Amino acid sequence: MKTLSIDLVAGIVLLAAALVLPLTGMDYLVGIAFNLAMWVALTQSWSILSAMTGYVSLGHVVFCGIGAYMVALTTGSLPLAASLGFAGLAAGVSALVIGLPVLRVRGPYFVILTFGLAELVKNVIVQIETGLGQFSRLIFDAPPLNSLYLVMLGLAVAVTVAAVFVRHSKLGRGLIAIRENEEAAEAIGVPVIRLKLIAFVAAAIIPGIVGGVMLLRTSYFEAAQAFDPVISFSIVTMAIVGGSGSARGPILGAFAFVLLSELLWARFPQLYMIILGILLILFILFVPRGLSGLLDRKEARQ
Amino acid sequence: MSAQLLFAALVAGSLYALVALGLNLVYGTLRLLNIAHGDLVMIGAYVSFWMLSLFGLPPVLSIFVAAALCGGFGWVIYVGMFRKLLATPALAQRLEANSLILFYGVSVILQNCVALAFTSTARGYQYLNEVHKFAGIAASGNRLMLFGVALALCLGMLLFLRFHLFGWSLRAVIERRDAAAVVGVDVDRVQMVTICIGFAIAGVAGVLVSMTEQITPFMGFPFTIAAFVVIVLGGLGNIFAGIVAGFALGFIETFGVALTSATYRSILIYGLFVGVLLLRPQGLFGKAIKIR
Repeated sequence: MKTLSIDLVAGIVLLAAALVLPLTGMDYLVGIAFNLAMWVALTQSWSILSAMTGYVSLGHVVFCGIGAYMVALTTGSLPLAASLGFAGLAAGVSALVIGLPVLRVRGPYFVILTFGLAELVKNVIVQIETGLGQFSRLIFDAPPLNSLYLVMLGLAVAVTVAAVFVRHSKLGRGLIAIRENEEAAEAIGVPVIRLKLIAFVAAAIIPGIVGGVMLLRTSYFEAAQAFDPVISFSIVTMAIVGGSGSARGPILGAFAFVLLSELLWARFPQLYMIILGILLILFILFVPRGLSGLLDRKEARQ
Repeated sequence: MSAQLLFAALVAGSLYALVALGLNLVYGTLRLLNIAHGDLVMIGAYVSFWMLSLFGLPPVLSIFVAAALCGGFGWVIYVGMFRKLLATPALAQRLEANSLILFYGVSVILQNCVALAFTSTARGYQYLNEVHKFAGIAASGNRLMLFGVALALCLGMLLFLRFHLFGWSLRAVIERRDAAAVVGVDVDRVQMVTICIGFAIAGVAGVLVSMTEQITPFMGFPFTIAAFVVIVLGGLGNIFAGIVAGFALGFIETFGVALTSATYRSILIYGLFVGVLLLRPQGLFGKAIKIR
């Protein structure tokens, strides 16, 4: 309980700082904070399915891409809010449709299947766009950065609250039971299929909307970029570095990732990728519970 | 069916079979999904390029250099990273689930180190590109060599697994790991040698690829994907079926692209991949088993 209240205070301070930030008028900082909120939202939503159930998805970007595509198609003919809602809906519905067959597959097969599926959808949409003679779509009249930032921040907060809530709910306990031993969970009456599907769909809606907002920020849609598999891998890296045992893990992971990328990406892109790879390996091997696990241990010692 | 297309399919198939063979051996014995496998192909290609450019060493001899280098890399990461982890069952289980992501880290490091050292510019060289004509087929010397070496290595590996004592213990570790240890197979040694062989084969495939097309630090990923498609088609850890599936993919790809257009290649490959995983996750030739 003590850690929860510490987390709560830290969260409120962080949120207050995030809300004040646009008032400073420094677009550079707001841009960084936008990326931070985006990665928090993506990683947190990923953890609802993958960290809780152990079904590690390497195709999370597919929902972002679907959301972005929906916004690219509907913007101009629909109000923006409706467009974004539609993006979340489309991502959720796609998750519902592919969820049943995909969630039957387990372990390493699930990991490579989600990756392959995301690439398949990417290539199909690239083909559709080429068939339509569209190589990229420009978005006009995108809202200013400050409003996009507030929307992204809202998404990050909403999904973090949802992740905390899920962890302490009956759904969360069911999902953890699936991770620990799916057969045993099923045998004692946990509705495994339904719970997995709920988590899969819930984890898909937020990245759908995030994808839409990302699109408005870049104001440019290109399928290969919207469905870039590097996004999926980055999400998993952040979850591993941050630790996915609690809702603060993805936040810590996103912070580490964005900080590193601000320091290195622009000047030394290859060095940045190499350091990222080394961090990923070190955390998987030696710090399986991530930064948040390290913090837990420190708190326990005090 | 045109003979020329048939030849193209055989060449592509032999390459896929070879690349997937290495991946399958490593997965079968160590239960590690090596997503950096294609990057070893890339390393092999660069070895061949630099050996020719710097020392004038013909690529056919670079095969041995690349095999030694990539095999040595396998030895280093096995001894440095995996030996201890795989010896503890609890850690080994966690590792299997995370191995794909771990090797993603390895892949990113390899790609970017090569890009840093040699820039991202595409490179290439001319080797054995005179065209031979027989039976209505026009075939360049390098493609013939690719086909010959790949086929010989695949067959050699199958014979090794069938007749050599070490091949038997390798198969035993793939099929029943615990039982193999009980009957006295040195599992640690089998794993170490297998990772070296698997990586070395990828390096050799890289040399062969560099004879026929341009190379870049990021060329490996499509090979990883093709290899995954192949071993999923054949069933993970099933060596013989994997080789058959490699040729099958070569045929499906070559004829599929010939019948539609090159732009559908990715859709075809990923569609096949997803379809097989959803419908027959034990592989096209596998027995119906419950997968974990």
